[in-house]
Amino acid sequence: MVDSKVKQLLLALRAGRVTFAYPFEPRPSEPGFRGRVVVDTDKCTGCGGCADVCPTRCIRIIDVSPTHRIIRRYLDRCIHCGRCEDVCRYGAVRLDLEYEISTTNKSDLFIEQHLFMGSCSRCGRCYVPPTPLDRLMVVGFRKDEEV
Amino acid sequence: MITIERSTEQINQTVAALRERFGEKVRAVEQPTPHRLYVTIDPDVVVQAADTLFNSLGARYLISAGVDKRPLNGGFEVLHFFAFDQVNVRCALVIPLKGDPPRIPSITPIIPGAGWAEREFQDLLGIIPEGHPDPRPLVLPDGFPEGLYPLRKDYPYDYKPPLDPNKTFPFKEPPEGTTVVTVGPFFPVLEEPSQWRVFVDGEVVVGCDYRGFYNHRAVEKLGDSALTYNQITALAERICGICGCVHSTSYCQAVEEAAGIEVPLRARVIRTLILELERVHSHLLWLGLACHILGFDYVFMQSWRIREPVMWLAEYLTGNRKHFAINLVGGVRRDITKDQHPRILEVMDKVERETKELAETLLNDMPLLVRLKGTGIFTPEEVRLTGAVGPTARGSGVPIDVRKDHPYAAYDLMEFDVVTYDGCDNLARTLVRVGEIFEAIKIIRQCVKLLKELPEGELMAELPDEIPPYRHGMHAVEAPRGEVFHYVLTGENNRPYRWRVRAPSYQNIQAVPVMFKPGTTIADVPITLGSVDPCFSCTERMEIVDVKSNETKVLTEQELYQLSRQKTKELRGQK
Ligand code: SF4
Ligand code: SF4
Repeated sequence: MVDSKVKQLLLALRAGRVTFAYPFEPRPSEPGFRGRVVVDTDKCTGCGGCADVCPTRCIRIIDVSPTHRIIRRYLDRCIHCGRCEDVCRYGAVRLDLEYEISTTNKSDLFIEQHLFMGSCSRCGRCYVPPTPLDRLMVVGFRKDEEV
Repeated sequence: MITIERSTEQINQTVAALRERFGEKVRAVEQPTPHRLYVTIDPDVVVQAADTLFNSLGARYLISAGVDKRPLNGGFEVLHFFAFDQVNVRCALVIPLKGDPPRIPSITPIIPGAGWAEREFQDLLGIIPEGHPDPRPLVLPDGFPEGLYPLRKDYPYDYKPPLDPNKTFPFKEPPEGTTVVTVGPFFPVLEEPSQWRVFVDGEVVVGCDYRGFYNHRAVEKLGDSALTYNQITALAERICGICGCVHSTSYCQAVEEAAGIEVPLRARVIRTLILELERVHSHLLWLGLACHILGFDYVFMQSWRIREPVMWLAEYLTGNRKHFAINLVGGVRRDITKDQHPRILEVMDKVERETKELAETLLNDMPLLVRLKGTGIFTPEEVRLTGAVGPTARGSGVPIDVRKDHPYAAYDLMEFDVVTYDGCDNLARTLVRVGEIFEAIKIIRQCVKLLKELPEGELMAELPDEIPPYRHGMHAVEAPRGEVFHYVLTGENNRPYRWRVRAPSYQNIQAVPVMFKPGTTIADVPITLGSVDPCFSCTERMEIVDVKSNETKVLTEQELYQLSRQKTKELRGQK
């Protein structure tokens, strides 16, 4: 009994102090960590692949006109699974190593993108223009153009 | 050794026994794989059929599921699941039901472990188990409107009916002359809110009543009405905050089985590795908490310290400490590359060494042993009747372990022992878990070795364009707490038609009342409950109602801990 107590004491002494002084010292996450969701709006074509797979369904797509698509990301619901990153063929969405993203304001975690799409002459729905040239020609591609 | 021949033999024998006894009443026999059997029978012989499987053939009861099949064939269906361990066979009795409300004879009188499952389909689907000894509501909140059944297909998944605030839960009447000790609705040391009403005579426990499901999240409903196959993997993982990966693995395997998808070996090895990593950290967590309840905060601190590198390792391998999001139907999402192997081995060596030292000092600690030994007795026969699984069963010397009995992932390639102790008490259950930490480390080392040999990158199977609808899949995984079982009936629109989940605590919590043997004192209640590891956390309050004087006394978390710890202290004093 006393014996085991002494052993316990030695064990604890050998381990020493293991707690960190975080947040007073930085604690970087492991490489490969799935942290903050970052969207590169220039690369995003509006294909909607990420919205399809997102398990929390926090990526919403609204087509307001045949050439104008809005993508809303309610990242307060995001569970950082990284599926959107997996499926995006254009590398437009990425999960980085940042984890200090808690906030008291939900809108800090909200991303809205407006995309100008090609419009199908048959069905009138939005689609992703197949080539960069086609993309240049969609209405409203340049920022100053009126939609 | 489990061979296909033995499985086939068992299946043939089962079918023959059922056919012989029920003849025409066995409507159909389906055998989608050599290890699965679905027998469709008439409702009037369900009790006898369950009796044949459970008592004559020695099958273990798993769970029951109700299905609303009205959109397909106008009726309902109940499935009772059984497992033949050692021969790797799972068997389901499929009982089609007509009429509304549909009725089915209850099997609870012969299989007590079916009690909750039957109450659940009564609540959620309105299928009435006739002759159930305790047909009180189980899942639905108090005051839920009568005649509304959330799991029926015509109930929208996001509909919230108004609740009747005047309705209360019909608790059991305490036996004459006893005092009721209410523990909960937020149980000390239990993570899930659950309420136990323990009937005591003085200090000694004479019985108890349980009310739970305060936190029912309608996960199954969401899965079969709103999400798609691969979205569910993330949801499945969130069923448990400590052992999530077991759920997503088990779910994926069920879908893969239904769709006939062959998962590449490398993916299976990675699943095995991650599952064992989860077991190591979960058992260390449990060990700490169990000792915390008893007042051994030293062990609590040390075992959590030992556990932390495992969490970092998980973050390194999968991208997150918990909720690894590694599984998809058909394989895994991340590879474990060569440069990651050394760190895995390094962490495992460290954890093994330190756990060994800790366990040694622990098991020489007399007061701890006295608190654990001989409390919460749970006999092998009771294991069978309640359907308890995992370390709870193995602590009673019942060697059931899904990893050996129904190999999945890459466990058929691993060498390891099933740890059992026949003490049948809290101590035995503790020893089983400590032993399993070492076995898990052994398996992880073998996984790393295997990964070195296999070509990198083969992670996903070729998936069919569409997962064929209306096929069954059932699969289980040995979670740290016991067997996790998932049943999937595939459906249209890229989502299951019915998804049924049974977590191990579902059976194990039902076993707790049995463990409160005559002579148990209130101070032993927390650790006995704790010993089945039903996901711990801390209490808010505990209420003592003295029935005789109608006096109410509320114990705080502090006081409850004190009761438990006082006993340890007294024991220490005696030594
Ligand atoms: S998948 Fe990529 S390109 Fe497509 S909408 Fe999402 S972020 Fe944009
Ligand atoms: S990380 Fe997962 S939950 Fe978050 S936006 Fe991407 S897919 Fe959705």
